[in-house]
Amino acid sequence: MSTSTGTFPVKVHWESEGTSRIPFMAYTDPDQHKKELERFFYTKHWNYVGLEAEIPNTGDFKRTVVGERSVIMVRDADGGVSVVENVCAHRGMQFCRERHGNKKEFVCPYHQWSYTLKGDLQGVPFRRGVKQDGKINGGMPSDFQTADNGLNKLKVATRGGVVFASFDHEIESFEDFLGPVILGYFDRLFDGRKLKILGYNRQRIPGNWKLMQENIKDPYHPGLLHTWFVTFGLWRADNKSELKMDARHRHAAMISTRGQSGKADQVTQVSSFKESMELNDPRFLDIVPEPWWGGPTAVMMTLFPSVILQQQVNSVSTRHIQPDGHGSFDFVWTHFGFEDDAEEMTQRRLRQANLFGPAGFVSADDGEVIEFSQQGFEQKPYHRTLAELGGRTAEDTDHMVTETLIRGMYQYWREVMEA
Amino acid sequence: MSNSNWIDATEEDSVPEDDVIGLQVGGRDIALYKVEGSIFATDNTCTHGHARLCDGFLDGYEIECPLHQGKFDVRNGRGTCAPVTEDVRSYPVRIEDGRVFVQMSD
Repeated sequence: MSTSTGTFPVKVHWESEGTSRIPFMAYTDPDQHKKELERFFYTKHWNYVGLEAEIPNTGDFKRTVVGERSVIMVRDADGGVSVVENVCAHRGMQFCRERHGNKKEFVCPYHQWSYTLKGDLQGVPFRRGVKQDGKINGGMPSDFQTADNGLNKLKVATRGGVVFASFDHEIESFEDFLGPVILGYFDRLFDGRKLKILGYNRQRIPGNWKLMQENIKDPYHPGLLHTWFVTFGLWRADNKSELKMDARHRHAAMISTRGQSGKADQVTQVSSFKESMELNDPRFLDIVPEPWWGGPTAVMMTLFPSVILQQQVNSVSTRHIQPDGHGSFDFVWTHFGFEDDAEEMTQRRLRQANLFGPAGFVSADDGEVIEFSQQGFEQKPYHRTLAELGGRTAEDTDHMVTETLIRGMYQYWREVMEA
Repeated sequence: MSNSNWIDATEEDSVPEDDVIGLQVGGRDIALYKVEGSIFATDNTCTHGHARLCDGFLDGYEIECPLHQGKFDVRNGRGTCAPVTEDVRSYPVRIEDGRVFVQMSD
């Protein structure tokens, strides 16, 4: 039985009805983590599973997760995308071990129960028993039906080559889930052009999964934490920018447009910008505007709860948040380009991708501050964070000097969690 | 007719009515089936999960594999349902003096 003490409260305590002060216990409680999985990952939310370009041919599959549940995204025999849970209907084994591959069917190695690519059970060994000395031994009961024993099938939504899935078959449409504003930015990036997979980064970050969402809902840290950005004039506090949310404040877009020049006199409030600093290999910052941008040079989208969609100049990627307990998550980056990219553009996207991922010039910092935030929360669970830059409410803004998106996310969190 | 590739497999009476047996014929694993007094021969290995068809169950002219319930028509080896995607090889059969001969052309 848990006992409340000054250091260890029994349950999450918010100081007010607002969300500008977020209790550390929102990040540290295992029971609450299960409630989050249930309410955000397993019901009423579309979760990212991958890109159609990862599975172009019949039988191509990718093993991934929805929340903490292992699933398989597969190109089925009809050319559609199916997502099935990676748990055998027989003895519950996670039968698929490979991360990617191609199969004609799924067969659990334990007892060879065999399923179609859509997850329908085809046959089970010795269903009618085994013949021996003129009699038949064993077999399944006569009322056993293959139709009742398929894999768990998820509902699937695809748009612009991106695949989302849900265990919840009563879920609203993907378009309603995003809302018109966020959907507009989604369609800006995934406008129907075929995607080309460039590669993956994977990392495990020892912090609560929500911190990754918050990191990309916080436009105020890059110029302060990521000194690399500042040194080379890539982030400036006077960048033209907007922050937008869906009506329920769960998703967001940070939209920014770089100034055209890196001259020091245009840089405000950023002390470490050094005009004399130059990259040894300037191709790294060889940025070429693309027609589909339609103005903004960077749009970072947070789709709650599972994915971040990144366009940072010519580098585009999805970043999949895969929780593993309350204090850890895997972060999987899929770098992509477009099928009509010239080779030069592909190389440019790959070079710029060096900013990102576990060892990226910029993103390595984020993994570390998330880890150290979690450590702070764990040692002082009665305390709370302070997210009051730009006020205590949540609304769209036309500047970056605010934590409005974090406050918005926790409004939604409190509503759904009833906490 | 040349007899060179007709191989004496077994006695006709050793194949039970409406059932299947497995045996070696000319170095291959062969399944023999008897349906309404006629004998048919196919390879004995399922093209799907590589189980022995002689451990399966004969329903009329269809042999059902014991592992995943794929089915083949024993008269021509044709796969008749999922998960079978590839037919099994079938062989001509002739009965002479109470013996079963299987034509093994390679």
